[in-house]
Amino acid sequence: MFSLLLAATPALPLDEAGKYVAGAYVVFVVLLVVYVAIMASKLSRIEKELREVADYAESSGRPGMPGREAEDMPADSAQPPAGSDRNLTPSEAVGGPAAPLRGEDDV
Amino acid sequence: MYGKGLRPLSIATVAMLALSLSLVFFYAPLDADQGFIQKIFYLHVPLAVVALIGFVVGGIFAIAHLRTQNSKWDAYSYVSIHMSVIFGVAVLISGSIWAKGSWGHWWVWDEPTLVSFLIVFLLYCTYYPFRYAIEDRDRQARYASVFAITAGAFVPLNFMAVRMAESLVHPRTFATAEGGLPAEMAWTVFACFVAMALLWVTLVKFELAAKSASGQVKRLRRAIDAPGPANSSRIAPEVS
Repeated sequence: MFSLLLAATPALPLDEAGKYVAGAYVVFVVLLVVYVAIMASKLSRIEKELREVADYAESSGRPGMPGREAEDMPADSAQPPAGSDRNLTPSEAVGGPAAPLRGEDDV
Repeated sequence: MYGKGLRPLSIATVAMLALSLSLVFFYAPLDADQGFIQKIFYLHVPLAVVALIGFVVGGIFAIAHLRTQNSKWDAYSYVSIHMSVIFGVAVLISGSIWAKGSWGHWWVWDEPTLVSFLIVFLLYCTYYPFRYAIEDRDRQARYASVFAITAGAFVPLNFMAVRMAESLVHPRTFATAEGGLPAEMAWTVFACFVAMALLWVTLVKFELAAKSASGQVKRLRRAIDAPGPANSSRIAPEVS
């Protein structure tokens, strides 16, 4: 059956087959690039979150903890900004409430 | 931990991909029957084989998860299946492009190899809604492992069934009645298999490293959120 099919559809000339071959390989490369781009955006988001957590850890460590960051900081920089009427919860301080444990990121 | 060895692995993958593409276009001879369009098979077949093996590997990791209850294996299983689904998309698209060029149709429904691969692919597409429909994380991981094992066992059974019900419509481009390929083609196919396998392993490791980092950050946030002196005890090292 296959040989009959091949006989009916002989080898395509290069100028015609070339676009199909190029299309297949381009699709593969595009998929790869899209995947890497998605992963890169995820990594940049993780980096941002990590920076927020580190900032919070440094700022909360200032009053009592003798760390290099705390020593370098002036004493009044640990005060809440003017106009803030309440203390932030830790999660708000690091960028909003923590997301519930759903979705593929938690795997 | 997951990122360990990622850099040399990535370099090896890029080098192997470059080598295999060079072999495909500058070393392997043109196929006597199909001509230039047969070059698609150097991409399509290794992708398909690696994707199917990846599904089975996901099932093996799921067995390890059920045996040890270690969430590390669940993550391995999830990422293996995820990567194989992505490879599966590439398989279906590249196969359709070949079919359009050779047969004049994007898809042929009476061809068992095509339809069976589509069934396997769609089966694994249901893995995501199935998994995330379950709220409890332990149950989610357990049920997903059972799914991965069952579907992983289905893959070789499906493959063998299709081989036994040979219709001879789907081209066996890399196995002829005379006993195989010319050496140039065989080496090229082998290089393409190695390149695709390396790519799969690299991307799996890459995604695992990203998920691990994301999990660590979330754990840190939860530890910060927890009130009182128990804070520090909740900052545990990554399980895996």
